[in-house]
Amino acid sequence: MSEKEKKANSSAMKVLRQERSETIAKARAAVKEQSGVIKGIREALTPAPKTIPEIAEAVSMETEQVLQYISTLKRYGIVGEGAKDGDYFKYELTC
Amino acid sequence: MKSKRDFQFDAIVIGGGIAGLQSALDLGDQGYTVAVVDKDATIGGKMIRLSKVFPTLDCASCITTPKMSSAAHHDNITLFTYCTLDNLKRESPDRVVAQLTQKPRYVDPDKCIGCRKCEYDCPVYVPDDEQGGFNMRKAIYIPFSNAIPQIALLDAENCALCGKCAKVCPTDAVDYFMKPEAITLTASTAVLATGFELSPLDQKPQYGLGRLQNVVSSMQMERLLAPHGPYNRVLRPSDGREPDSIAYVQCAGSRDKSLGIPYCSRVCCMYAIKQAMLLSGALPLADITIYYMDIRAFGKGYEQFYQNAKAMGIEFVKAKVAQISQADDQKVMLRYEDQEGSGGVMERDHDLVILSLGMVPQWNPEGICSVGCGQDGFIKPAIPKIAPTVTDLEGVFTAGVASGPKDIVDTITEAGAAAMEAANYLKALNGSTA
Repeated sequence: MSEKEKKANSSAMKVLRQERSETIAKARAAVKEQSGVIKGIREALTPAPKTIPEIAEAVSMETEQVLQYISTLKRYGIVGEGAKDGDYFKYELTC
Repeated sequence: MKSKRDFQFDAIVIGGGIAGLQSALDLGDQGYTVAVVDKDATIGGKMIRLSKVFPTLDCASCITTPKMSSAAHHDNITLFTYCTLDNLKRESPDRVVAQLTQKPRYVDPDKCIGCRKCEYDCPVYVPDDEQGGFNMRKAIYIPFSNAIPQIALLDAENCALCGKCAKVCPTDAVDYFMKPEAITLTASTAVLATGFELSPLDQKPQYGLGRLQNVVSSMQMERLLAPHGPYNRVLRPSDGREPDSIAYVQCAGSRDKSLGIPYCSRVCCMYAIKQAMLLSGALPLADITIYYMDIRAFGKGYEQFYQNAKAMGIEFVKAKVAQISQADDQKVMLRYEDQEGSGGVMERDHDLVILSLGMVPQWNPEGICSVGCGQDGFIKPAIPKIAPTVTDLEGVFTAGVASGPKDIVDTITEAGAAAMEAANYLKALNGSTA
């Protein structure tokens, strides 16, 4: 990309960011919140694998939300399923 | 919006589910050129989202994926995915015109190689409807692993416009400036295979209006049972516990005048039995109960399938569930009148409850196409007994659940019949112009 094209692209992106300012603000707020939760879950799982209720207690969140995060992190290869503990499975960090 | 792209085909198929794909393949194999239009970013319809099919318990994906792939690679078939149908009109006996809007993917389909690098690097998580909302996808994503085409799309409503996806894309496919595009398709005939939606989960106050924990729809259960489901196993959505006691509530969205759905959706009994059998395999120690008004096992091998389920230990309770409410320990309490046994009003707790929801039309043609519909909203066949795929619009045919609830076997049979009617129509036209 030439310097001229880069400059044109940069100004077009600026206009687009203004047009989509509302959705961008919403998405950025979501990223901030989600990053905080994921950081908390990572910290909770660092010492040892945990079940959903144990993680929920560690991060002070509802178990339903924690399960949604854990299944998402599993989907993207960050968390894996470990051994069974009673009626629950334990989850562990994979990376 | 001016039409930028005009295309000419022999036939247009509206809907890329199993009915639409079968019709398109049957027409394409006869040498006719076919356009398949789908509102989703992938073809495959409901069937590709199922775990297994009844009564054979074949893997749904193993049957659907080859059909999807055949259609995508067929010389005579062109796919128009992620398009809305704005208008479908017959202009003359040999000319039907469809106006579409190609929704922006914000990813160039000619450049995207489906590597998912954009998806892995995207920082925004969004609840994934494809997985029943049980887990999350990214703001830029490929709908699911066997989606066709394997092209990413960006959800602009949830995009932070951080630029990471464009940065990591090895083919520079991300285009944040993409706009909706008008497309005009012209053909001689059309097949409407617009399918169904499940009746809403949140429609019945007595069943908790969709707000109760661990009360899920039958399609959500399909995802829980699917090999690539959200948890890769069946867990209670409220806390990840393996459920000990699971219940199905039949006729939760059909045969109910209070919901405006007085008809039987025909497949709910069988899909509930199928899911119950799959659950028996996945959770051998769990108690599985089906609360039913009467079991409608109408197809070949279906009665035997039902008997097999009973022999496997699945409990069938003849009762119409009156009320569903939250019980202690995140359980769900069902209140029902036992119509057999000792009778009377009973209450029972379960870990997980599935509402066997009914089928309602996916598409309302009002303002888009002048094809006639019945009171139930499904497309009305003009000659239902002897030509169920013929509509009241000349040279426009219908296939599958677009014309009323039916199972996959009947859907595929009807799709073949619609293709044959369309081929006959084309042949007659060619004969008259020869």
